[in-house]
Amino acid sequence: MAKGFSIRARCRNFRWPRDRGTPEISGPAAGAKRRFVDWAVSKLLFVGALAAIVTVFFIIAFLLRDGYQIVLETGLWNFLTGMEWNPTGRSPAYGVFPLITGTLLVMALAMVIAVPLSIGSAVFIAEIASPGMKSVIKPAIELLAGIPSVVYGFFGLILLTDWIRVAFDQPSGSSWLAGSILLAIMSIPTITSVAEDAISSVPREFKEASLALGATHWQTIRRVIVPGALSGISAAIILGMGRAIGETMAVLMVTGNAAVIPDPLYDVFSPVRTLTGTLGIEMGEVAFGSTHYHALFGVAVVLLFITLAINSAARVIITRIQGAQSIARSTPSGWVRAAIQRSTPYRAIAGTASRITHAVSAPFGRLVHPRTSQRCAFLLISLAVAIVIVILGVILFEIVVNGAGAITWEFLTGSPKDLGRAGGIFPAIVGTFYLVGGALAIALPLGIATAIYLIEYTADTQLTRGIRTAVDLLNGTPSIVFGLFGFAFLVLFLGFGVSLIAGQITLGLMILPTIIRTTEEALRSIPGSLREGSYALGATKWQTIWRVVLPPALPGILTGAILSIGRAAGETAPIMFTAAIFSSRFLPSSLTEPVMALPYHLFVLTTTVPGAATQSYGTAFVLLMLVLMIYLAAILVRRRYSPAKVM
Amino acid sequence: MNGSTILETTNLNLWYGQKHALIDISLGIPRNKVTALIGPSGCGKSTLLRCFNRMNDLIDSSRITGEILFNGKNIRDSHADVYTIREKIGMVFQRPNPFPKSIYENVAYGPRIHGMNDKKELDRIVEGSLKGAALWDEVKDRLHEPALSLSGGQQQRLCIARSLAVGPEVILMDEPCSALDPIATAKIEDLIVRLARDYTVVIVTHNMQQAARASDYTGFMYLGRLVEFDRTTKIFEDPGEELTENYITGRFG
Repeated sequence: MAKGFSIRARCRNFRWPRDRGTPEISGPAAGAKRRFVDWAVSKLLFVGALAAIVTVFFIIAFLLRDGYQIVLETGLWNFLTGMEWNPTGRSPAYGVFPLITGTLLVMALAMVIAVPLSIGSAVFIAEIASPGMKSVIKPAIELLAGIPSVVYGFFGLILLTDWIRVAFDQPSGSSWLAGSILLAIMSIPTITSVAEDAISSVPREFKEASLALGATHWQTIRRVIVPGALSGISAAIILGMGRAIGETMAVLMVTGNAAVIPDPLYDVFSPVRTLTGTLGIEMGEVAFGSTHYHALFGVAVVLLFITLAINSAARVIITRIQGAQSIARSTPSGWVRAAIQRSTPYRAIAGTASRITHAVSAPFGRLVHPRTSQRCAFLLISLAVAIVIVILGVILFEIVVNGAGAITWEFLTGSPKDLGRAGGIFPAIVGTFYLVGGALAIALPLGIATAIYLIEYTADTQLTRGIRTAVDLLNGTPSIVFGLFGFAFLVLFLGFGVSLIAGQITLGLMILPTIIRTTEEALRSIPGSLREGSYALGATKWQTIWRVVLPPALPGILTGAILSIGRAAGETAPIMFTAAIFSSRFLPSSLTEPVMALPYHLFVLTTTVPGAATQSYGTAFVLLMLVLMIYLAAILVRRRYSPAKVM
Repeated sequence: MNGSTILETTNLNLWYGQKHALIDISLGIPRNKVTALIGPSGCGKSTLLRCFNRMNDLIDSSRITGEILFNGKNIRDSHADVYTIREKIGMVFQRPNPFPKSIYENVAYGPRIHGMNDKKELDRIVEGSLKGAALWDEVKDRLHEPALSLSGGQQQRLCIARSLAVGPEVILMDEPCSALDPIATAKIEDLIVRLARDYTVVIVTHNMQQAARASDYTGFMYLGRLVEFDRTTKIFEDPGEELTENYITGRFG
């Protein structure tokens, strides 16, 4: 291009936009319309966000208020440490200690089983698997997360308890062990995917530096990669614990539900009862405002506090990771830690510890050739992955083989007969769609508006941090607690009765925090420079959000929404006492009527109707296929719009 | 100063929270010339640039006193429409920041948000703007490919084209070449010189050769103050202040 040509001369026919007449930069009319639109949208988003945030705080306050009553009636100490839980006996006892013990025991054993398998799988996926293998195993493990808990419970009740009974020669297989195995299977996907993210995000340079010194791949993994990802792995385990504590249906179906502390304490074949299971069993039969009713709220509050503790622990760990990445931030806690590390006792202990580990591991280092130890380690890791895959295979095989046989035209399109032993499940399928559709209609607009408002319109202040904490708290809250809230507030207090609308609202509230969080994450991943680029062209805030921020964030928002659909479709606990009825020949004709739903139908068929095995398998199959298709859709959306390919 | 000034500040002060980032800045930017702002990092040159199209509005803790006149009208007036101001005073950033859309949509974005929906007219604006940014010949056959598939230098020229498309009078450039290689930098500098025939260009740079090569006027800033403002030749050959001389001879920086 020759220098000296005027740009204007080069395209003589082109009318430059500014030749159309220069708009005045000031004056009453300048930009009045878009200013108005911008203002109106911001107010609309504010109202949506306010509604969602008020709801979040209302739920928490409601639970605390009714839970506090039990403290007034029995005393805090008696409630927490009472050794007997017997609300329906002649002299009712409300001691939650056995329930807390049961919850913690089931969770602890589940972690003992799940952690090695999950970390092994995470290391395998992140470090060892070939890309082709990774693309199969990763979604397979994610699919495990998609199986509804009632299907796990069904599987546990039909196969696992039976297997335990026979294998260990016990009178009953419904036990602590059965609950822990199921919970372990259910928390494996959570722990694996978070740990895998942490391992994958260890910088390549570390790995290369270690390999360049002649270390084997396994030495690099053990001494560089896993230590580097340790905080992320701990966060993964804590999140897995949260998943395990919040689970209701699967645990309720296989633990035997006797409110006792195992004696001796390591008797894994003893029945136990968890906090969530108690809510699931007793909520439906409780009288409004009674001591028992308040005691159940007390149980919910205990769950809430456990969730809070787990959330805070995970948050502390995650902030520490972020803190370590941004250098030279002298927080008070960092000061304290540094002071401790400088102190003499700490040095002495740390020094001794490292000397001991060195002394212990050194002989092995020489006895066993690094290549041999690598081979052993990789074998164990592969074994862990194989176990996880086999578990998934067994569950799918069992349900698909037995369930596909039950599928007939009549089963899919007919109404249940003879308490579900014959006939079909059509009303349950339609009911599930009604419930999920309603929940989405409530949660999606509110959740997205809240996230947009929080990210785009507010600065990071004390207030927004408080809001985020509350949303996080509800996000980790067990679904049965939402069931309790829906039952107490919507069904009893507002007098909705057991109805479609009560179920839709309860499910909507349950997925609201998830939608807020995933949308926030998606918006936050859009770089600020794009927003600046748009503002610099004279775009309003809303034009920028609508045309520049939302389009690339859409896949993330969509994935979150789809996962919420899957979760809402598979959940039993929140609808059990708010919306679902067991056998109904009719579809609901209005929002105030109760409705059948697949998960609840499966739950009742399995636990209370003898001789309905075929129908149970058929229902489990339909539910599983429905939810897995939804999860598959989410995985495909995410893969199609992976960040590298965002257009 | 000869000729007319298009942007003028009088006693401009700006604080970020407690930090006094700009102190009593008074200067006039001459119309249809390239003006460079130089100075060590943190001296406030980017902050000053961002005052001209009120991008500092986006930072909550910032506070401004003083006047900024654009064509004789105060842009900090409560009646002034910030969106029209940014339409008239465009900006190009340090790192290329094309939207994750096609090349065409990137350029058409500005006219669209200002209410232009006529397809034919948009086509002409896109072509004209890409020609204006010396990018047309390289992308005319791939207008609908993602903008992120372009090289860094091409992306930066796309960002220039994007700001031309809304028909600005002034283009502010905040270290536009700092993320680019020497060849891409040379192309952009070449472009800046030619843009000055039709536009007023204000460029912030930490590269003194760039200021010397591409600008007509230069302002030297230090610790939030405008130390000296004059013709580029004067600043580089016979600076009036010792501070300026020390800086351009590399005695500190």
